[in-house]
Amino acid sequence: MSPRRGGSATRATPSPSSATDILEDVDASLLDVIDNVLNKGVVITGEIVLGVARVDLVYVRLSALLCAADRIAGRPRD
Amino acid sequence: MVYVYAFVRGTARPRGLRGLADAPVRVRTGARVLAVVSDVAARPEPTLDNVRGHDRVVTAMAARFPAVLPTRFGAVLADEAILADALAARGAVLDAALTLVEGREQMTLRLYGRAAPTTEDPPALSPDLGPGARYLEGRMTARRAETAVPEMAALRPVLAALVRAERVERHATPPLLATIYHLVERGTASAYLEAVATASGRLGNVRARASGPWAPYAFAPDEAL
Repeated sequence: MSPRRGGSATRATPSPSSATDILEDVDASLLDVIDNVLNKGVVITGEIVLGVARVDLVYVRLSALLCAADRIAGRPRD
Repeated sequence: MVYVYAFVRGTARPRGLRGLADAPVRVRTGARVLAVVSDVAARPEPTLDNVRGHDRVVTAMAARFPAVLPTRFGAVLADEAILADALAARGAVLDAALTLVEGREQMTLRLYGRAAPTTEDPPALSPDLGPGARYLEGRMTARRAETAVPEMAALRPVLAALVRAERVERHATPPLLATIYHLVERGTASAYLEAVATASGRLGNVRARASGPWAPYAFAPDEAL
């Protein structure tokens, strides 16, 4: 399953949707990569950071997609 | 501006690796803890390509260094001098975290199904406790509930020999119950996946799905840099 490539307008400032867009058409195998890279890892923040992309909404969307992936995968054989 | 992918310890020096915007990746040498960086012209957006690019660099570093601590996506620093200051200030914390993950990698275990009912009543608090102590006791009970995963009890015996550390997230989005991140010795991922596959039938109405190995993203120190 290849991700659909959609055109998107360049935004002057990042919006929450740019972070959740990443979850559209994402292969189930990528959900763990996204969870790792956007929700985990050493957080560098505060005054030393010039600005971090807003990814607050990714967490909720990710959980929903994990549930969907679980439904698709079906129950494992006993 | 500088983008940081991970902190590492070791003597390897990556050559020819490209990061975000195809910029060359280099190791910023400092004291004991090193930073893996590349130059960026602007703060990168969390597109799929950039997220994959971040993970690609992290994975490449995990192959070259025995101890790697991935960073979370998106932090851009003005220059390396600021990074050096941050490393100096937090070096001990990062060093300890690198010691934990040295020679190890992460397996991710997700549990789906119905949450186990809470079987135990909260312990009765002594009437001698003042309001402050009661508050702390309540927080500890809540925290234990957050990190306890009774649903995976049947998996614990088969995983015990493999797991070096654990981080737990309970979810409020059924049927996804919890995600458990396990730190295992490098080279034991197959044994871990096999153990989960073998024992998953003992979980009753709960399904277990394991993935990995990954670089140890979930084992970063709690405090931000």
